Amino acid sequence: MPPLIVPALLVALAAAVILVAPLLLDTYLVNILVRACFVAIAAITVDIMWGYCGTLTFGQSAFFGIGAYALAIMFTEYGFGTWQIFAAIGAAVAVAAAVAAFTGWLSFYPGSTPLYASVISLVVPIVLVQILYSGGTFTGSSSGLVGFESFDLEIETWLRLAGLGLLATAVLALVVMRSDTGRLLSALRDNDSRCTYLGIDTSRLRIVVLVLSAIVSALAGFFYAGFGAVAAPENASFAFGTNLVIMVALGGRGTVIGPVIGALCIEVASAYLANSLPYVWELIVGLALIIVILVFPDGLLGAVMRLVKRGRSAVATTILQPAIAATAVSNPDAVAIEVRALGKHYGSLAVLDGVQFTAYRGELLSLVGPNGAGKTTLIRCLSDGRERSTGNVAIAGHDIARLPPDRVVRFGLGRKFQTASVFETLTVAECLRVARTHADPPALTSRSATLALPPAAMSVVERSGLGERLDEEARNLSHGLKQALELAMVLSLEPDVLLLDEPTAGLTRAERQGFADILTTLARRDRLCILLVEHDLDFVREISSRIIVLHQGRLALDGSVDEVVNSELVREIYTGQHVSHAEVPA
Amino acid sequence: MLTVALDAVTTAAMLFIIAAGLLIVFGVMKIINFAHAAFLTVGAYAALVGAHLNLPWFLVLPLAFVAGALCGGVTEIVIVRRLYKRPLDAILATWGLGIVLGQLITLMFGREVQFVQAPISGTVHLFGADYSAYRLVMIVAAVILGLLFTGLLNGTRLGLSTKAVIMNEMLAQGLGVDSSRVRLITFALGSGLAALSGALITPLSSVDPNMGVPWLIGAFMLVMVSGGSLLALAGSCAVLGTLQVLVSTFVNPILGGLTIAICAAIVLRIRPEGFARA
Repeated sequence: MPPLIVPALLVALAAAVILVAPLLLDTYLVNILVRACFVAIAAITVDIMWGYCGTLTFGQSAFFGIGAYALAIMFTEYGFGTWQIFAAIGAAVAVAAAVAAFTGWLSFYPGSTPLYASVISLVVPIVLVQILYSGGTFTGSSSGLVGFESFDLEIETWLRLAGLGLLATAVLALVVMRSDTGRLLSALRDNDSRCTYLGIDTSRLRIVVLVLSAIVSALAGFFYAGFGAVAAPENASFAFGTNLVIMVALGGRGTVIGPVIGALCIEVASAYLANSLPYVWELIVGLALIIVILVFPDGLLGAVMRLVKRGRSAVATTILQPAIAATAVSNPDAVAIEVRALGKHYGSLAVLDGVQFTAYRGELLSLVGPNGAGKTTLIRCLSDGRERSTGNVAIAGHDIARLPPDRVVRFGLGRKFQTASVFETLTVAECLRVARTHADPPALTSRSATLALPPAAMSVVERSGLGERLDEEARNLSHGLKQALELAMVLSLEPDVLLLDEPTAGLTRAERQGFADILTTLARRDRLCILLVEHDLDFVREISSRIIVLHQGRLALDGSVDEVVNSELVREIYTGQHVSHAEVPA
Repeated sequence: MLTVALDAVTTAAMLFIIAAGLLIVFGVMKIINFAHAAFLTVGAYAALVGAHLNLPWFLVLPLAFVAGALCGGVTEIVIVRRLYKRPLDAILATWGLGIVLGQLITLMFGREVQFVQAPISGTVHLFGADYSAYRLVMIVAAVILGLLFTGLLNGTRLGLSTKAVIMNEMLAQGLGVDSSRVRLITFALGSGLAALSGALITPLSSVDPNMGVPWLIGAFMLVMVSGGSLLALAGSCAVLGTLQVLVSTFVNPILGGLTIAICAAIVLRIRPEGFARA
């Protein structure tokens, strides 16, 4: 394949440089570069966590330190030998993975914030270093472990191995990050809650990424200690962890290559400057960090790449194709939503109270009511099992219990948010592919050229004009197109129940009419049950098959369009006349 | 036993004094100020300078506060203001600032450890035990600080604007609250408090360019657990500070130093809203 020739040549060139470099450089520099290569591998893991997944982590140093100490402790206690090497590698991987899994469990759960995960990542190396300090002779306490026998290799060989290891890690990271899986991780960074409502267990995904990057970081630390025959608490410290973040920030997050350049430059420069310019060097690094974050948020490489990219337009490459139709609707009139005695309280304040209704497939049910009636809260309670205070909700016959949204979505629920919620930095096709994660697991090393969509999503893409803009980034779309894209993403889930929160707000008249047609087709032809929150009574009247009125947290009316629109209550609500609470039929 | 109890109360008071500035910044701006430790150090060095100039203690504290507030005000205008929409970048930039301040202090004052004499020395005979008088001052300081804060939030126009910004920034802006001014004042106030706390604790600890860092994690975790509420902060400081003293005294000091971080992390995992609505 011709497009692969250039990258392949670049990799070959880099490998050649790595193999030749030790012959040309003096021993001091080679020594520094070997360490720098291992540090750069750890920096790549920070980039994957932060640049791609959006978790700012100060804790990768902890895993680096675990790798270093696994080797040092093993070789100190049992001497150097083949089985000790493998046992030490096994221990490094196992301990790093276990600590990462526990850290992940602490950091990532439905509702956790990125800030919280960052602070936890700061705690991990601090706790680890204290454990190392109190480990006595086993961990060497504050002076670390030295004087054990380690790999006996020429320093030139070390540089070649370290350099090739770094190259391999970088290539692997780049390949995976540019694949469909990598795009899924970027989707996580852009919009975690949208991912959750596409049925993706984001917490688990983040934990998996953390565990894998912890293992890579531990292996880097393992060889770092093997090279220097030293393991020191500094290797695990949070200061080193923040240094890794600085390297990634300066080099350019989300680029893999940028962090490698950042790590190599900073490591080499510190080795030369830290002695001649004590304190001033760190001062410069601190200033550089502030300036880069303020002026070039994507780092130096990111800034360069943006200059290069300017003028180059995206080439359309994605081809749409229909997905193999899911099994035909077996029971076109089945119960889709069943709500029993639903209540939501904040302390003594009841936002929803005793809400009860049933909705069937093929129905287009509108939920109306004045502001503050609890409409959006009701939508939340239907899609997230942890939201409601009392009562039961079943979606397509499944009790949602206390399940998080990603599980409820898998029962056949799709929720479109009030403001268009898409993945801003992904292209239209990538957004849709992320939405299809459950049906077509993303490729780990490649990007698909085709995108298979179910008929409903396909028709939205085609009718809205998104079909011609598949390779454009979502952030460049108009408001109306973003709304259409989100709807297409939700429909890609092939839901049985569709929840829409004011989908027409801010749309033009023509866009609104298009939306109305799409919704009626979905209900009639595809037998979806659509629950629509809407303020515009004309729109509601035009498309609904049934209307529910929510008033002061109670279900005030439930009936056909004519019954509801002509009722006393609705007229009073919408003309602003006061209706005392007592008159509201419960 | 009584000493342990007094240790617990005074430790809680110190934690409260140190974390209060971080809390108001977190409450209003939803970011953690990673330069908090550096501002604390600035305050400690201000106290050191004041002590060298033989300034009376009641002048040293406002001096430290003003030094911190000035640093904070400049930081808000130059750095934090530009990063409102990127909170993770904001904490990283404040961390960069922490490095810069730490190195500047090292270049100006050297990295050696220095000491400041306590304004009140000696011990007090209390409930049958002799106890450091200055540590008891911490309790008074924490109570005054808590009352001042509550008064500021509930009794002034600025406090009202601040509460409005905390609850709904867009709405507050729409109602004519100058939210960027509120943010500026909040950040300056938080930084000034950090410096004040640094000046207050110097007589109990040594002064060195990295003295703020060990306090940082504990303060971060306390603020996360408290979720922006001053009352919850007082409660978490009391509970977790006591635990820290108990573990340090009866188990081992190293584990004691980690108590707050570990307990807070586990509390937040089980109860994400922390103690805020407890």
